[in-house]
Amino acid sequence: MIDFHTHPVMIKELVEADPDFGRAVREVFGLLFPPQPLEILRREMDAAGIERAVILALDLSTAHGCRVPDNETVARLAESEPRLIGFASVDPNLPDAAERLDGAVRRLGLRGLKLDPSLQRFDPGDRSRAYPLYRLAGELGIPVLLHAGMSWAPPGVSRLSRPVLLEEALSDHPGTNFVLAHFGWPWTDEALMLALKHRNLYLDTSVVYARTPAETLRKVVAEHIGLPVLEGSLPDRILFGSNYPRQDMRRAARGIASLGFSPGLLEAITRGNAARLLGLETEARP
Amino acid sequence: MISHLKRFTILTRKETEIIDITPSVLETVAASGVWSGTVFVLSLHTTTGFYVNEGLPDLERDMADFLARLVPEDHPYRHARFLHSDGQMAINAPSHLRGTMLGFQAFFPVEEGKLVRGGRQTMYLAELDGPQERTYVVQVTGEARGGEA
Repeated sequence: MIDFHTHPVMIKELVEADPDFGRAVREVFGLLFPPQPLEILRREMDAAGIERAVILALDLSTAHGCRVPDNETVARLAESEPRLIGFASVDPNLPDAAERLDGAVRRLGLRGLKLDPSLQRFDPGDRSRAYPLYRLAGELGIPVLLHAGMSWAPPGVSRLSRPVLLEEALSDHPGTNFVLAHFGWPWTDEALMLALKHRNLYLDTSVVYARTPAETLRKVVAEHIGLPVLEGSLPDRILFGSNYPRQDMRRAARGIASLGFSPGLLEAITRGNAARLLGLETEARP
Repeated sequence: MISHLKRFTILTRKETEIIDITPSVLETVAASGVWSGTVFVLSLHTTTGFYVNEGLPDLERDMADFLARLVPEDHPYRHARFLHSDGQMAINAPSHLRGTMLGFQAFFPVEEGKLVRGGRQTMYLAELDGPQERTYVVQVTGEARGGEA
């Protein structure tokens, strides 16, 4: 399995090395439980049956004066642990955001761009701030993963992450692959509508709202969207994500497996689609 | 009176894992200098358990299976919600309930400098929501040989 949505924020070594980072994780990201050693992340992946995981940087420089974590940290983690796939983040409100993204990909080897309109405080349809990043991501051949839907982070503004705000950007950047996280809940219909129309849009399954992942996914995916819709219309554009550590990988993995997808679609959602999107199919396994 | 307290921190590997901690308890008693007293073992977590049983791998697996049957994963527990005090989903009710079934602590007597237990008694820490970093405490209290403190 590949987990397309994890945040390397409650890692003991990182929190203990930098009190400011720990404070940002608590106050901005809103995670308040004790951090765990990096080795526990590896073991959590093993226990969940997750072979590789995308780890996300998040640059909140202008809105909150922090990065949780920064691109360099994510690159170091990904280099030290080949099972981790690092995504960069840049702050669209910074004038040199595109240069930073270019450096993070070419110099640090990061393989995607993570944006969070709710926390970074930008409109994902903003032509002057966001479009240059979308254009560059397409040129670099990396996907853009955007937070979508409800923001659990205390200062997060959920309305900035309404899926429909991305509509024109999807049309205007046909050469860029986008991922909307969390199925866009509670605007799941908007996310679905966009994905049905735009073949450069993927959706990840890391919905966090209430109940266990199995119950949440049953309600949002199986009952609301309907498995036949995904089987028929989006078999190649759904990606498994846990949103670890806001939700544990083990139960997220069991949740997606419990829905009753056909074996082929389950394999595509939990591995194949992500491997293709990230260009992992030609790589040797770590 | 002597009070000798030692913390043990371990990294577990599995979601449910039965871990023999007997050697660490015996070593703590031996190092304590207590000749006559008690040893107290406490897990510092609410999704672990502590129990005593015969030290056999088949019984360890039976215990893990029994706990899973007793507290199934898919019951509609109330504790399946966003926990604001943690900032994460609290979806581990089965782990908490399995821990409660086992308890979190145990006492043993210490006599003539040795922990008193049955010949087949092994002390187990049960990981019930792993993998995680876990800490348990062993405290030995009592008198030194000859009643000296």
